[in-house]
Amino acid sequence: MHTLSALQIHERFMQGIISAKEIALYFLARTKKDEGLTDAFLTLFPETVLRKAEELDQRREQGLPLGKMAAVPVAIKDNIHIHGELTTCASKILANYRAVFDATVIRRLKEEDAFLVGKTNLDEFAMGSSTEQSAFQKTKNPWNLACSPGGSSGGSSAAVAARYVPLALGSDTGGSIRQPAALTGTVGFKPTYGRVSRYGLVAFASSLDQIGPIANCVADVAYILEVISASCDKDSTSLRTSPPAYLSILQTPLKESRIGVPWRFLDGLSAEARSNFEEALDVLRGLGATLVEVDLNLLKYSVAIYSILATAEASTNLARYDGIRYGVRAPTATTLHEIYDLTRQQGFGTEVKNRILLGTYVLSSGYHDAYYKKAQQVRTLLIHQFQQAFSQCDLIAMPSSPLPAFPLGSMQDPIQMYLQDLYTIGANLAGLPAISVPSGWSHDKKPYGLQLIGPQLDDEVVLQMAYQFEKASPENKQIPPLFDKELL
Amino acid sequence: MNPSDYDLWQPVIGLEIHVQLQTKSKLFSSAPNRFGDEPNTNITDVCTGQPGTLPVLNKEAVHKAVQFGSAVKAHIARYSCFDRKSYFYPDSPRNYQITQFFHPILRGGVVCAEVAGSPHHFFINRAHLEDDSGMLKHFSSFAGIDYNRAGAPLLEVVSEPCIHSPEEASAYAKAIREIMLYLGACDGNMEEGSFRMDVNVSVRLKTEEGLRPKIEIKNMNSFSNMEIALREEIRRQIDLYTEHPTILPKELLFAGTYRFDPESKKVLPMRRKEEAHDYRYFPEPDLVPLILSEEYIEEVTKRLPELPWERYQRYRELGLTKDTARTLIDCKPLGDFFHASIPWCHNAKMLANWILVEFTGRVQSQGQTLQESALSPQYVATLVNMVEEGTITGKIAKNVADEMLLYPTVDPRTIVQNNPDYQPLADTSFLEGLVVQVLKDNASSIADYLAGKQRAFDYLVGQVMKLCKGKASPSAVHALLQDKLREYS
Repeated sequence: MHTLSALQIHERFMQGIISAKEIALYFLARTKKDEGLTDAFLTLFPETVLRKAEELDQRREQGLPLGKMAAVPVAIKDNIHIHGELTTCASKILANYRAVFDATVIRRLKEEDAFLVGKTNLDEFAMGSSTEQSAFQKTKNPWNLACSPGGSSGGSSAAVAARYVPLALGSDTGGSIRQPAALTGTVGFKPTYGRVSRYGLVAFASSLDQIGPIANCVADVAYILEVISASCDKDSTSLRTSPPAYLSILQTPLKESRIGVPWRFLDGLSAEARSNFEEALDVLRGLGATLVEVDLNLLKYSVAIYSILATAEASTNLARYDGIRYGVRAPTATTLHEIYDLTRQQGFGTEVKNRILLGTYVLSSGYHDAYYKKAQQVRTLLIHQFQQAFSQCDLIAMPSSPLPAFPLGSMQDPIQMYLQDLYTIGANLAGLPAISVPSGWSHDKKPYGLQLIGPQLDDEVVLQMAYQFEKASPENKQIPPLFDKELL
Repeated sequence: MNPSDYDLWQPVIGLEIHVQLQTKSKLFSSAPNRFGDEPNTNITDVCTGQPGTLPVLNKEAVHKAVQFGSAVKAHIARYSCFDRKSYFYPDSPRNYQITQFFHPILRGGVVCAEVAGSPHHFFINRAHLEDDSGMLKHFSSFAGIDYNRAGAPLLEVVSEPCIHSPEEASAYAKAIREIMLYLGACDGNMEEGSFRMDVNVSVRLKTEEGLRPKIEIKNMNSFSNMEIALREEIRRQIDLYTEHPTILPKELLFAGTYRFDPESKKVLPMRRKEEAHDYRYFPEPDLVPLILSEEYIEEVTKRLPELPWERYQRYRELGLTKDTARTLIDCKPLGDFFHASIPWCHNAKMLANWILVEFTGRVQSQGQTLQESALSPQYVATLVNMVEEGTITGKIAKNVADEMLLYPTVDPRTIVQNNPDYQPLADTSFLEGLVVQVLKDNASSIADYLAGKQRAFDYLVGQVMKLCKGKASPSAVHALLQDKLREYS
């Protein structure tokens, strides 16, 4: 069963080949075996899943209508609310926080009868690129347990790579879906900004955050996207147009497409990463695409812009965690100022504190113009440069990350960690849809990912090309050997 | 100090008025915008800043802001934005307020108000939408926070520093409040904090060009307190500069934020300028820019309710005196009652008098307002018409008015018809008899009258009215008396 896609699982259930209970029991047993192996999950919901499975089996028996994702196990990054369950954001400050409502994406998944299997690990408040910043546990990469699964959606990428679930939701602020997907050999998609409602996603940087799926194939990405990308009146930045039928569009081949490559920006790639990227471009050429060089030299500022804008927004988004209304309050605090100081001192990890401090600094009077305002101006220029590039091509190709999976604990320098997102941040700054698809292997059998970026609202074009690329390179799709067994 | 020395100085005052907009729900959430309920009952997940919640702008609040902009001839921004203003305080659920710092919805505007009997123009700098905070409540051993108010829509109206006396400040603020009341944009309830004023005040020698350092006095919720606070603060600043003529003003004045203590009537410091918050404003990424179309603005302007000065003008044209017109404007419920009555009535002046004196007096003595009293504006007009037509006398009308309060749904014409005592005395021969009787009984008054004393005549009229229980029309009594008195001359 572990080799099946989400769509196949759903079809088999609908056809009566397997029961919802069998599916639930199988994946619950698989995830339960994980304890101590990858540590992908922070919480699991076996009782709820089994209850739901029984209900679905009954409904199928009685011929009652069933949702579009009935019996599909989905894992949820632990910064997305499921009503009544913990949403910790992998932070001590929210260790006891139970969601008081369903995120819009969760409401949609529930309406379509998906199994919400559990909540996955992340870097605290999604701030990081290795999932090591979790206050609770370190998640391991299923391809190499000594390595990071990437981040911040590392729990979701590890869970999908290990086939604990065929699908997971992550969030992507600077690459937090695409980079972990690349590092675990999975498919990760960040939709156009506003395509998926952010209502119920705990905010890191509001103008960059976007929920998206991680899966083992492009078709499953299209499948869940049809369910979660509905317009939402609780999110003012949600797109008001209805999403297209991604799954059926997938089959339509793209003809005579032009793929832009910002070669000058890719100068710093390692030899291995470069040759992997070039091989991927050959596959695209083989699919009939024309490659054109595009100028995206402003991307070299993207990490700098991101470090300013994302931290500025985060410094205010995280201001609400003060120990007054909810969350963990410092037990020794006796005055208002102690509640503020001690709660935040004890509740936040180092990386989160660094970013709050940086964000507070760049917004401070006297520095605002030099940092925040300047960064916004460069962001606007970057958006224009992307628009310019898209006048010459349909999609832009880049590596998803500069490195394959790196050993846990190996990246001590925060700047080096921020550079992990060098190729992914641009799509967040410009609000573009972008996908990472597996593109091959390093010398030591760690996955590489190819990134395809489209113009705003062209999510389906990105998916179409990724789908063709995936079909044309079947050798890139493999299951980590340690997990490639029916029973773990 | 010589009192005349104060005349050498000019106060420079600017007002920031927080107007709580009357809307069904809050500025960014669907929670009811209502005062006075049990703590923390009018809240949603948005109001307590739960993680994962997002603001959604209330269109009704925008509509009221645009109405105000149109009423004061402000420039209504076709494009405005919201910003985050960061500060930590327990009543602030996200620890940032959502306001419009960089691109407010309204800029400019002018308000006319009377100061010491003559009209004066005041200028508005800007007005912006923002959300209110919750309220802290202190108990003996702990403090609680009520988030019912958190997220209530505010329009902050910022004046130019064009105000030069406490009286002007008051007149300006009253005019703003009046406009808001006429628009139905704010209930104007100052005790409940629906209308709160911050003042910025400095003084300078009348011969000076530039401005000296200012201080801010926050959160005043009565016009009289504001005037007292300003008077006190202006005097303090002038004294300070006069006593220390050689020290630089910026080193002398303890610039910062103050508050007015209504108990001691003193202005007390809250925090120094150095302790001032750095609010770190930046655009609110959870909201999209607010874009208003020309058609929308035109439509709001076209449908603007009648404004106080328009109503005043109209009442003057109806022949009301300045004072009567002003009274009806200043107390909007009275004006509204008059407004509802006037289509039914032929005599505006008499109607205003009946509403302002007779009916207001009657309902007040019952601890009510006209609005609460279920009195029908149409019936009040009918009563006035009956007096004017001579159907009943003023004296009877007062009795009818008493009954109208008891039976507000009964037409005064019916009240009069059903009571023989209220029927006018149409029988002249009966009245003539009464006149003859009175003259017979008051020989001395006749003598006085013939000696040229008008009061004697009035006395005789009174006697006749008394005998007929006020049912005769005074003009008929006059005529008859004059006629009969001729026989004595």
